[in-house]
Amino acid sequence: MELLVSTIVNGLSIGSIYAMIALGYTMVYGIAKMLNFAHGDVIMVGAYAIYVFLAYVNPLFAILLAVVFCLLLGVTIEKVAYRPLRGASPLAVLITAIGVSYLLQSLAQIVFGSASKMVMVYDFGAIKLFGVTLQVSTLVTLAVAVVVMIALTLFVKLTRTGRAMIAVSEDKGAAQLMGINVNKIITITFAIGSSLAALAGLFYLLKAPSVSSTLGAMPGIKAFTAAVIGGIGSIPGAMLGGLLLGFVECIATKITVIAPYTDAIEFSILIVILLVRPTGFLGKKRREKV
Amino acid sequence: MRNFKFLSLILAVVLCAVAFVSCGEANYAAENTEYVIGVSGPLTGPAAVYGVAVQNSAQMAVDEINAAGGLNGTMFKFVATDDMHDPTKVATNYASMYEGGMQVSLGTVTTAPGLEYKNLSKDDNVFFLTPSASGDDIPGGGNGFQMCFADGNQGKVAAAFVNENCKEEAVGVFYKSDDPYSKGIYDQFAANLDETIKTTVTTFTAANETDFSTQIDTLKNCTFIFMPTYYDPASIFMTQAKDILAADAVYYGCDGFDGIDSKEGFDINAIPQKVSMLSHFNSKAEEGMAAEFIAKYVEKYGKDTLNQFGASAYDCVYAIYYAMEKAIADGKEIPVTISASDLCDILKDMFANGYELEEGVTGENIKWESNGYVNKAAIQYVIKDAGLPEAEAEVEAEAEVVAE
Repeated sequence: MELLVSTIVNGLSIGSIYAMIALGYTMVYGIAKMLNFAHGDVIMVGAYAIYVFLAYVNPLFAILLAVVFCLLLGVTIEKVAYRPLRGASPLAVLITAIGVSYLLQSLAQIVFGSASKMVMVYDFGAIKLFGVTLQVSTLVTLAVAVVVMIALTLFVKLTRTGRAMIAVSEDKGAAQLMGINVNKIITITFAIGSSLAALAGLFYLLKAPSVSSTLGAMPGIKAFTAAVIGGIGSIPGAMLGGLLLGFVECIATKITVIAPYTDAIEFSILIVILLVRPTGFLGKKRREKV
Repeated sequence: MRNFKFLSLILAVVLCAVAFVSCGEANYAAENTEYVIGVSGPLTGPAAVYGVAVQNSAQMAVDEINAAGGLNGTMFKFVATDDMHDPTKVATNYASMYEGGMQVSLGTVTTAPGLEYKNLSKDDNVFFLTPSASGDDIPGGGNGFQMCFADGNQGKVAAAFVNENCKEEAVGVFYKSDDPYSKGIYDQFAANLDETIKTTVTTFTAANETDFSTQIDTLKNCTFIFMPTYYDPASIFMTQAKDILAADAVYYGCDGFDGIDSKEGFDINAIPQKVSMLSHFNSKAEEGMAAEFIAKYVEKYGKDTLNQFGASAYDCVYAIYYAMEKAIADGKEIPVTISASDLCDILKDMFANGYELEEGVTGENIKWESNGYVNKAAIQYVIKDAGLPEAEAEVEAEAEVVAE
């Protein structure tokens, strides 16, 4: 029972972070048709932003400022690095994204140094739940992630902008003909994705209060994997993929014999999914030239 | 056309000549006006705190030696190249230093690049004494020696400690399975542990170094946790686990723990558990050479990069310096233009046959086995006692580490 509760809570909480990050990947892919490999590093920037703002304001306000900072960063990256390449070959955009990723990491290293920084956002302490001692921050992470994901789903389904986003992802040309400002929609997508990344940065700080320039690298790749497993371009797919990956990671880490192979197992799942169902669980079938 | 043929002929001859010259046993140090010591280490990147410590400390030692008149009037020059803890960068670094006249070296700062360095330097017969590349396979080429304990030795000493003191404890282990340092220590620890002691083992990798909730959950009933990792992940673990593990539990680490109490933003007194470690350098030493070193280092470079890597590098430079001095006193000739290979022959013979550094920052009567492992005393000390707050470092016991 104890094992079950702790596995479920931890798996959900790791998974919900992956899901949040995967949402950024999948939305940008769905709408701008590009893989934004710098997305993971925005998480790191978000965490550093919280670290910096914490020195001046209270935690809640610092988080808010960090989200705004990342939002602006995401929009700027899109405007400076990706927009000039709209229409260029996907490979050029991909390489640019990787370049932006390295740029962010190197900048962070220049500004903050290479040693990791400890950041205590807020100490929630621990509680006992069904006989299991849990970090309260784990539960907070889970709760916030769920709320954000529900809000995002509603936003996309119910608002005008949200439906415009779906329209652009379905058919950019037709959407443009219908009077949708595609550039604006893409900018909004980057803004949302980057804000989610900032929140993911916050979650990492809540769980383990440490930030270094490579904080976002691996979660970024894992979340990308989650997005592909769920079906890249699909919002519920990203959530599903993220949660699945979180659970696999949590269970694999628990079993001593296979723990060292946790990452290998996660990426093997990706390979299997790609072989069996190349579009992921919830992805749409589509002929595509890469 | 004719001109062109003539020119190409000349070009061909020149190229051949160049090719032949570079085939010969060139002495790149022939033009040296100072003895050149080199090192390859992570001066940037995530492991930079170690590389920079080595760079600073070795430079400090070289400056001191030069200020005192060098070796019979000949000065030393120290060259550090950046490998970012990436083995693929080592070959270029090595070549630039070797061809730039390096005669003796500190090898690499970290283990993974060190394995590459070992092969390169063995081919050219270049002596190295590494301050901190602690992999069991780093020495063994005949030309390489360690100032730090080999990983396996740390594992053995830790196992002996656990066998002796933890019969009643629930022993947990937390290590990084894709890191040669961490795994090297763990493997020897596991091999030398009494069968009666049952351990709960949990691991992590470089990829999931950001959150240890699952690992902590696995170890939640343990009262003694062995952590052969660097302090960065350890400090994250401790912060995350402070309310979950028993308040009187003990963390026990190896030399990678060094500096954990001075990590920026990490308040070791905010965690209730006890933290102790096994090392060759006490970063809070209050007397002896270690204390002098700490004072000098902090004054010059600040506290941020003060760690056992630097202390060890400082000793390495002096060990090499005293060895050269002794060789000259014994009648050997070490001109400033001596080739790296000739100097290596002299030094490796001394180090493998009982040469001793009498007093260093990281120990006294430091000697080497013929296979390159160091032989000196390890100190176990408590970084922070259980309960709050009081962080008094005290030397608890001394354990002799004997290399095989």
